[in-house]
Amino acid sequence: MKRSIAIHLLLIIIALQVSSQTSEESYRHAAELYESSDFSGAAAIYKRLYDEGYRSEELLYNAGNAFFKAGDNASAILFYERARLISPADEDINYNLQVARSRVTDKFETLPELFFVRWFDFFSLLASTNTWALVSLVLFIISLLFILIFLTRSASRGRLIPFWMTLVTIILSLVTLSLAIRNNSLVNHNRKAVVTCSIVTGRSAPGDSGNELFVIHSGTTVTVEEKLGAYSEVRLPDGNKGWVKEECIEKI
Amino acid sequence: MKILLVILAFILAPLTVVSQEVTVDVNAPQSAVAGQQFRIVYTVNSTDGRFQPPAFDPSFSVSGPQTSSSRNVQWINGEVTSVATTTLVYYVIASMPGSYIIPPARYESKKATVSSAPVEIEITDAGTAPSGNDTQAGQPPENGSEVSMRLTLSTREVYIGQPVTATLKLFTRINLSGINDLKYPDFKGFLREDIETPPLRNLEAEVIDGVQYGTGVLQRFVLYPQIAGELRIDPVGITALVQQRTTGGDPFFNDPFFDNFFSNVTTVPRSVSTQPAVIRVKPLPMPQPSDFHGAVGAFEIVSDLSKTDITVNDALTYSVTLKGKGNLNLAGAPVINFPQGIEKYDPKVTVKSSGTTTGSKVFEYLLIPRNTGTFDLPPVSYTVFDPELEKYITLRTPGYSIEVTGNEGVTEEAAQPAYIPGEEVKYLGQDIRFIRTGDSRLRVMPETLVEKSYYWLLFAMALLLAASLMLLRREQIRRNADITGIRNRRAARNAKKRLAKAYDLLKSSRPELVMAELSAALWGYLGDKLSIPRADLTREKCYAALRARNTGEDLITELDLILSASEYSRYSPTSQGDSPAELHRRTADLIEKLDALLN
Repeated sequence: MKRSIAIHLLLIIIALQVSSQTSEESYRHAAELYESSDFSGAAAIYKRLYDEGYRSEELLYNAGNAFFKAGDNASAILFYERARLISPADEDINYNLQVARSRVTDKFETLPELFFVRWFDFFSLLASTNTWALVSLVLFIISLLFILIFLTRSASRGRLIPFWMTLVTIILSLVTLSLAIRNNSLVNHNRKAVVTCSIVTGRSAPGDSGNELFVIHSGTTVTVEEKLGAYSEVRLPDGNKGWVKEECIEKI
Repeated sequence: MKILLVILAFILAPLTVVSQEVTVDVNAPQSAVAGQQFRIVYTVNSTDGRFQPPAFDPSFSVSGPQTSSSRNVQWINGEVTSVATTTLVYYVIASMPGSYIIPPARYESKKATVSSAPVEIEITDAGTAPSGNDTQAGQPPENGSEVSMRLTLSTREVYIGQPVTATLKLFTRINLSGINDLKYPDFKGFLREDIETPPLRNLEAEVIDGVQYGTGVLQRFVLYPQIAGELRIDPVGITALVQQRTTGGDPFFNDPFFDNFFSNVTTVPRSVSTQPAVIRVKPLPMPQPSDFHGAVGAFEIVSDLSKTDITVNDALTYSVTLKGKGNLNLAGAPVINFPQGIEKYDPKVTVKSSGTTTGSKVFEYLLIPRNTGTFDLPPVSYTVFDPELEKYITLRTPGYSIEVTGNEGVTEEAAQPAYIPGEEVKYLGQDIRFIRTGDSRLRVMPETLVEKSYYWLLFAMALLLAASLMLLRREQIRRNADITGIRNRRAARNAKKRLAKAYDLLKSSRPELVMAELSAALWGYLGDKLSIPRADLTREKCYAALRARNTGEDLITELDLILSASEYSRYSPTSQGDSPAELHRRTADLIEKLDALLN
C-alpha cells in the first residue's frame, strides 16, 4: 500500500516535470516560429499555453505580437491588455498596444477616468494580488503589536511613538488590502472586453428585436455591464451603452 | 597650242564618260476626283532630247505642259558631274469616273529613246468618299467639310503611366487667315504635357484621295494616363478663320478675270473639333515592388560619383541617371539609404528630354561627409515597369566606397562643423516591437488569497490573539497596581502601628527593641510608599527614589540620621545619642512629613 502511494507520488512528480518541460519547450518553439515569420503558428502555441493556465508577462506580450503579425488585431489587443495587467508600466507592452489600437476602425473620444482612479489602478497592478494581500496581513499584525505596546505602556514612558506607529501601520494595511482587492478585481474579474467579431451591432435590448444603436468593429475595448442569456450589455469608451452578442466579445 | 588642246581633251574626257543613262520618271496621283484638276509630272534627266507626250485618254482635258529645265555641274576632286533636268507638268481634268491608264511617254535623245512607266489612275465620282481606313493617321477627315481637324494617338491601349503621343493636325481645302482659340478638354484621367511644336505658318500641300488639302500640325502633346479603365478623350476644338470671297454686285466685273482684284474677302470664324476617342488604360500588375516609383517605360539606370577620396566637410555629388523612353517626368526619385555621418540634401532633379518621351532624368544628391572613415554607398535598385514586356524590371547600380580623410593641420575640434544642423529622426513606418526572447517565466496563476476565507480568518485570528494578549496584560497590570496601591495606602497606617508598639516598649526600658521597631516602621513605610520590593530595599535606592520625587535634601538627611541612629543603638545598647523617646518623636515627625509629601 505504502509502496503504491510512493509510486503514485513519483508518477505525479514526473508528470509535473514533463508538463513543465513541454510548456517551456513549446514556448521556445513558438519564439522560433515567430522569428521565422510563421506568426499564426506561434500565436496558436501561445494561445494554447494561455488556455492551459500559464501566465507571464513575456507569454502574453509575445502572444499579442504573434497575433498582431498574423493579422488578428483584436486578439493582439486582448493579449496586450492582459499583459498590461501583469506589468502596467512596461514600455514595450504599452507601445505595441498603442500601435495595435491605432489600427482599430472605431475611434472614440474616450471619457477620461478620474486621475486618482487611474493612479490607484496603476498602483494596484504594480504587484500581484497575493503580494498585496500578504503585505496587508503583515502590516496588520505589526499594527496590532504597536497597539499592544501603546496600551500597556505607562504614560511616563512615552506613548506617542507607539500611537502614531499604530495609526500608520493600520492605514497602510488597509491601503494594501484595498490594493489587493482592486488588483484581484482587475486581473481576475475584469469587466473590460475586446470585440473579436469584425463587426457587431449594438442594440437597445438583448435579442434581435431591439433597435440598432451603434455598430462597432473588431479591436474596440468595451466594458461589460450586465449579462442576459447570450447577450451582454456593454459600455463603449465614449459612455454609450448597448446590448451585443456575447460570442462577439472576449473578456480580458 | 598643242598642250592646250591636250588639256582641253583631258577636261572634256570625263564629261563624255560620265554622261549617264537617260530616264523618264512620272509622278501622278493614284486616284483623282472627276472634274477636279490634278497634275502629272514628268522628270527627265536630260535636256538635249525631244519629249513626246503620252496619248492621254480623249476624255481628259489636258493643259500644258509647263516645261522647265535646269543644269547642274559639279566638280568634285577634279571629277566633273553634270546633271541636267527637264520637268514637264501637265494639268489634267478627268470628266468621267473610272480606271484609266496613261500610256508611257517617250523621250528621244541623240543616243537612245527611253519611255516612262505607264500610270494607272482611278478617277472617282465627286460624290463618293474614298472608302477605307479612316482611323489611320494622315487620312482625310470627314468628307465634305472644308476645314477639319484630327487627333492622332500613337496607341489606343496602354498601361497606367505609359505615355501616349497625340498629334493635332489640321486639314483644309480653303484659305484660312488664321486659327485661334485652341480649346483642350480636361483630359480626365490623364496628365497632359505639351511638346514644343513650331507655330503653324505654312500649310503643306497633301493630296489625299485626289483631294488636295493644306495640312499642318497644330500641336503635339503627350498624355500620361493616371487611372485604369476606358478613358474617353473629349473633342479638341479650335476656331478657324475662313476667308470667304464675296463678289461685288457689279455685272461688269462679274468675270473670273476680275475676281482677284475686285472681290471682297471677309473672314468668317468657324469652329472645328475632333472626333472623341477612347483609350483603354490597363492597370499595372500587382503587387508592385517596393522600389517601384511610378516609372513606366524602357529605361536604364546609371550612377556616378564625383570622387571617392574626399576630405571631411567637402561636398561631393552622387548622381543617378534614368535614361530611356517612358514617363520620365513622373518617375520618382530612388530611395537611397546613405550611411550615417554623411549629410544628404534633397536631390536636384533635371529632366532632359529629346523629342517626345525619350530622354534622361538625373537625380543629383549633394553629399557632405561630416566624419572621417570609410563609408559605403549602397547599390541603388530601381524598378520600372516595361509595358512592352509587360513586367517589372529592376535596374541596379553598383555601390561605392568613399574614403573620407581628416583635414591635416586642423585640430579635431576645428574639424567639427561649427554648426551641425539638427535633423528630426525620420520615421519610416510604424511597427510593433519585437517579442521577448529571454526566459519565459511561465507559471500557473496561484489561487488568490483575498478570495479565500482562511485569509480573512488570519486577520481575525491575529486580532483575537492581540485582544487576548491585551486582556492578560491588563489583568496583570491591574493586579500589580492593586498590590502597590494597598501597600501605598496602608504604609502610613502600618508605620503608625509600629510607632505605637514602640511607644509601648519605651516603658519596658528595652531600648534596642524600641529601636528595632522604629527601624522596621521606617523601612516598611519607605518600601510600601516607594513601591520597592523588600528584598531590594537599601538606603541608596530609597534616597534615589525620594530624590526623584523631590522630597528635599533635609528630609533625606533626617532619614539617614534616624536610620543610622537606630542601627547604631541596636548593636551598641549603651546609648550616647538621642534617647529612644526623642528618636521615636523624630521618626513619627519624619513619617508624617514624608506622608504629606508623597501623597
